Amino acid sequence: MMKKTMCMFLAVLMLLGLTACGSEKQDVRSEEGFRPALDTSVSCHISVAGGYNNFEALETEFDRFNEFYPNVELVFTKVDDYNNMIGMVLNGNDAPDIYVNYSWMYGRERYKTSIDHAEDLADPALGLDLGCIRGNILLNTNDGTLPMVPVFSNTYGMLVNNSLFEKEGLSVPATYRELVAVCDAFREKGYENPMMGFSQKETTSLFTLVLYPYFCGTVAHDEEAVKKLNALDASAGEYMRPALEKLVQFLNDGCVDLDACAEIENNYDAVILRFFEGDVPMMLCSGDAVSGTKKRESRSEAFIANPFTYTFAPVPMAEEGAYFLDMPNLQFSVNKDSSNLDMANEFMRFLITPQELNEMAQNKGLISPTKDLSFNSMYTALGAVPESRILSPEVFGLSDDAVTQLRLAGYLVGTGEITIDEAVAGYGTFTQ
Amino acid sequence: MKKILVIIVNVIIIAAILIFVVLYSSFENTDSYRRQIEHFESTMVTMEKVTENYLEGEQQICDVWAHYINSEHMTMEEAVAFIRASHVLENASAHLISLDTSTGLSTRPKQGTADDYAVSYKQIALLENVDWINEIGESINITRAYTNPMNGEQSLAFCNRVTLNGPESDSSEAAVLLRVIPISELEQKWVFPQTELVNAELSMIDANGDYILKGHSFKNSSFFEFYKSYNPTDPESSAKLFDRITSSTGSVPMLNSHGQECILAFTPLSATAGWTLLGFVPAKDLHVDAENWLLVGVVSAGLLVLFLLDLHYMLHLNKRFQAAAREAESTSKAKSDFLSTMSHDIRTPMNAIVGLTTIAEKNLGDVESTRESLRKIRLASNHLLTLINDILDISKVESGKLKLSPMTFSIVETVENLVNISQPMIKEKNIDFSFHINQIEKEYLYTDQLRLNQIYINILSNAIKYTEPGGRVTVDMREEKSTIPGCIRLSYIVADTGIGMSPEFMATMYQPFSRQIDSRVNSIQGTGLGLAITKQMVDLLGGTIDCQSEQGKGTIFTVILDIPVADRQRDDMMLDPIDVLIVDDDEILLQTAADTLESLGASVEKAQSGLEAIGMVEHRHLSGRDYGVVIVDWKMSGTDGIETIRRIRTEVDENIPILLISAYDWSDIEDQAKAAGANGFVSKPLFRSTLYDKINELTGKESVSQEPEDNYSDLQGLHILVAEDNEINWEIISAMLSMFGITTERAENGRVCVDKMRTAAEGSYALIFMDIQMPEMNGLDATRAIRKLEDPWAASIPIVAMTADAFSENITECLDAGMNGHIAKPIDIKLVIKEIRRIKEGRGS
Repeated sequence: MMKKTMCMFLAVLMLLGLTACGSEKQDVRSEEGFRPALDTSVSCHISVAGGYNNFEALETEFDRFNEFYPNVELVFTKVDDYNNMIGMVLNGNDAPDIYVNYSWMYGRERYKTSIDHAEDLADPALGLDLGCIRGNILLNTNDGTLPMVPVFSNTYGMLVNNSLFEKEGLSVPATYRELVAVCDAFREKGYENPMMGFSQKETTSLFTLVLYPYFCGTVAHDEEAVKKLNALDASAGEYMRPALEKLVQFLNDGCVDLDACAEIENNYDAVILRFFEGDVPMMLCSGDAVSGTKKRESRSEAFIANPFTYTFAPVPMAEEGAYFLDMPNLQFSVNKDSSNLDMANEFMRFLITPQELNEMAQNKGLISPTKDLSFNSMYTALGAVPESRILSPEVFGLSDDAVTQLRLAGYLVGTGEITIDEAVAGYGTFTQ
Repeated sequence: MKKILVIIVNVIIIAAILIFVVLYSSFENTDSYRRQIEHFESTMVTMEKVTENYLEGEQQICDVWAHYINSEHMTMEEAVAFIRASHVLENASAHLISLDTSTGLSTRPKQGTADDYAVSYKQIALLENVDWINEIGESINITRAYTNPMNGEQSLAFCNRVTLNGPESDSSEAAVLLRVIPISELEQKWVFPQTELVNAELSMIDANGDYILKGHSFKNSSFFEFYKSYNPTDPESSAKLFDRITSSTGSVPMLNSHGQECILAFTPLSATAGWTLLGFVPAKDLHVDAENWLLVGVVSAGLLVLFLLDLHYMLHLNKRFQAAAREAESTSKAKSDFLSTMSHDIRTPMNAIVGLTTIAEKNLGDVESTRESLRKIRLASNHLLTLINDILDISKVESGKLKLSPMTFSIVETVENLVNISQPMIKEKNIDFSFHINQIEKEYLYTDQLRLNQIYINILSNAIKYTEPGGRVTVDMREEKSTIPGCIRLSYIVADTGIGMSPEFMATMYQPFSRQIDSRVNSIQGTGLGLAITKQMVDLLGGTIDCQSEQGKGTIFTVILDIPVADRQRDDMMLDPIDVLIVDDDEILLQTAADTLESLGASVEKAQSGLEAIGMVEHRHLSGRDYGVVIVDWKMSGTDGIETIRRIRTEVDENIPILLISAYDWSDIEDQAKAAGANGFVSKPLFRSTLYDKINELTGKESVSQEPEDNYSDLQGLHILVAEDNEINWEIISAMLSMFGITTERAENGRVCVDKMRTAAEGSYALIFMDIQMPEMNGLDATRAIRKLEDPWAASIPIVAMTADAFSENITECLDAGMNGHIAKPIDIKLVIKEIRRIKEGRGS
């Protein structure tokens, strides 16, 4: 009996040993939210064109998509001078299957090609989960089509060094009064620059960052004003006056030292690296810049030496509090002439889901376009802004040209080149 | 415990082999993987050469153009026209860009236009700084991949700085000449040549890690960033690695964006400043381990099968060993028991012999007592002799040295001998014995008579031995047709009403030294060798032996042998016409005897009782047709044979020839029978030849086989030479022969014997009894020497071996040496006399 038991045990042991020699098991993640609609063995090449040098967050999505379609080769291609070249690229031999698009290109002849090549993504047959995206950044054209869907959103605000606030026993300001008080408090504690920002060029300058949300707050509910502003009517300049005055007040209240800010060379790398020096409690920047912070932590010797926690918050320019300017940042279109249109749509169907959009936004460090903003602690402060103070220029109809006039006027006033009166009078005449 | 140890050792060996195979496979895999990596690295070096050649070729074209443009002092328009004229590649183009304005002209028109050649690089961060563009012919000056502003295609460009004539004849402007090649064009050519590297990709990076050309698995815009994004590292390690990558040829493992292990091979592009060619391939593509797992699997399965088979075989072997051990143990025990028994069995007759000899010596004056002692000594000696013969036989059988010595013999004589030998015991135990003969037609057969006798005697003596007094033993001998040509099939069936055997004993009864454990058996003399010898003999003769037995009821042994018929047979035995009355109360014997007589040509009538026979004889007598012969069985119920004869003689006829049949020793009833009027006796079984001879004798015809019985006058005066070295043996034989009136002369050894023969006058000796083992010259050599003597009488004198070498091969050896017969010691004087008569009458075998 003992002998038989032993023989059986050894035989089973050896069989198990043999089984262990078998091939490794494939681990295919089962995604509850996405089920492939096409033949998963199909081989094809999908190119995505954009202006980013890097788009690793998107490349991560490629990898996740490859778990369902292992033979689909997805490539992101950077197009130089993207805004100007994308039309030519779409007409050329290297036309992408999916490309980055911008809603501000709507109605502009120069960018007509970029809009014309875009497939209508509102087509229910495509099966995109558009309901997961916040309505105020999902922008249909006048004829009701949806040539592009946002994959990131953007806003203006400031990076907050929470460690410093905590260290100095101060709270992140929620109103303009608190902002000024906090700046004074920091200054008294020896911080030369309680607040900084990029000022060398008007593009995403600190002036725009503080001016624009406040300005939107003053005109968002005034259709007449928006209409005039969009028409670049000279009389519409008056609508800028409250915002410009607020800008001047902000500067006069000593929240920023423009000379110090002038040393910041660009509105991205330089802004981030200056913030990582650790001595600036609040750094004005766009959501774009926030996306670069994580990667640059390792590049900053100061940050490596003295790491700190930081978040992004809207700038409280109004007494009532801050405005959350909700704008689409990067939007994707599908080239309707794509030779792999089905697979391009399949990838979009995969991507336009809360899970994938949030994942990609998290990886990129940008704000997700989905309705749930709580997933990223960096942007928790934005989620706390009441609905009434969330504004979207695209929704209340402010045109890009009008915004450009405000931006230029703000820059000139901020830098002291012109007065508020001159700026108001010059509305519609400012050029880049 | 030992078995478990053996199994564990086996498992350890199997495990060790498997571990070795796995380790060896692993080593082979690792080695193969290393070679594959080296191969990949060398492919990269080859690719670097190919790439360098390609880049140098393209750069040279650009150099030639630039040199010509510079030497001819061309304007931008002239230069573009020149290039356009010399341009042959369909997809390539050239741009001339003024460094002042970052604008210029293209050799091909802008996409969607026919004549718009203006091109601007203002929005493309490519030509802000042109320090990287060296003088013509000094190096390869190549841009990163960028978007061609004329058609939107991803391209790269080979560059040279040129000096163009300005709009005014005396002015000049610095410009860059770009030979623009679409990446797609390059990608088609720039692939790994080996099919096994189908998933390998190439990239080219500058000294900062930025891609000049980028394979799709390479992520980010900088390889260094790509590496850091997906591979855990620290700044110091990564800086060292990047320095190594951009300055040497080699390979490193790294993870790709899927987290898969890949091999990155790198080699510097020597024709460029700080550029590095990168090759990237999934590590699994370089592993070739599928076969090794197959090997491991096959070896595992093989070892498992081997292990199980061995295990099975081992268990089987163990069982056999255990059985063999048990058997050996049993045999050993049997031998011990046998030796113990032998000791007892030898000592018993020896005790009798020694004791009786002492008694005889003390009672020399009392003739009756001395005779009785001597009779008992003879019986004890015979038993001792049988015992010794059996031991020697089984020893021969077991050593495989037993060989057959076939010779022609008479089955009649064999049966007679068998019956004669059995008679004393039958008589002693008052056993009802009958011997039936059926259709025995061939009297002379050709086989080893000695062994056949042993078989028959063993079985019959066992039957008698193990049958209680008053029991019954019957023998049935039958001749049948054999399937073997030239043979008859002889059945020999012995049935008794003895003690029988248990099934357990029957399973081992043919094994040597086995005797049934039974109080009744223990009281019976036996060696436990008889059946073993019998079985061996039967096997040796190619026959079968079968036994049916039931304890308390009896045993039936059946031996069937196919025996060759001898060439010599009795001539046709046919009686003259004669009426024969056969009387027996045994119906079977009556019928078989009648059949036998009818086959001899007699008219046979049968009577089943004495009274019926008397009636039939009287009836015949009265009718004047007396029977030629009346054959009456002695033992019959009612009126027995003697009484029947007496009444025939007294009541019917005094002259009718009457034979008395008996299965028993008729010497006891001889006088009584003769007084009653019997003319002769015939022993059962009634052979054809026996009946023929007896009837002929009674009716006055000469018997062909009658031998003189107690009349030894024919032996008187014979002089025999006895070669015997042993004094006592010489005295015995001499004394015994003298009882028959035979005189003897002794030769002390073979040489003396030969010398005597050499000098003897013709007729000096009737024959020679020759001992075999003698000093100086043995009997065999002496015989050979005598056969070579010149004197024909001497050379042909009959020589009979008289030796203790009693095996059949000894007999054969003697005959081969030239002897005429063989008598085994201890000698039986009857056999000696029979042999002398045989020699004397010239009846050779």
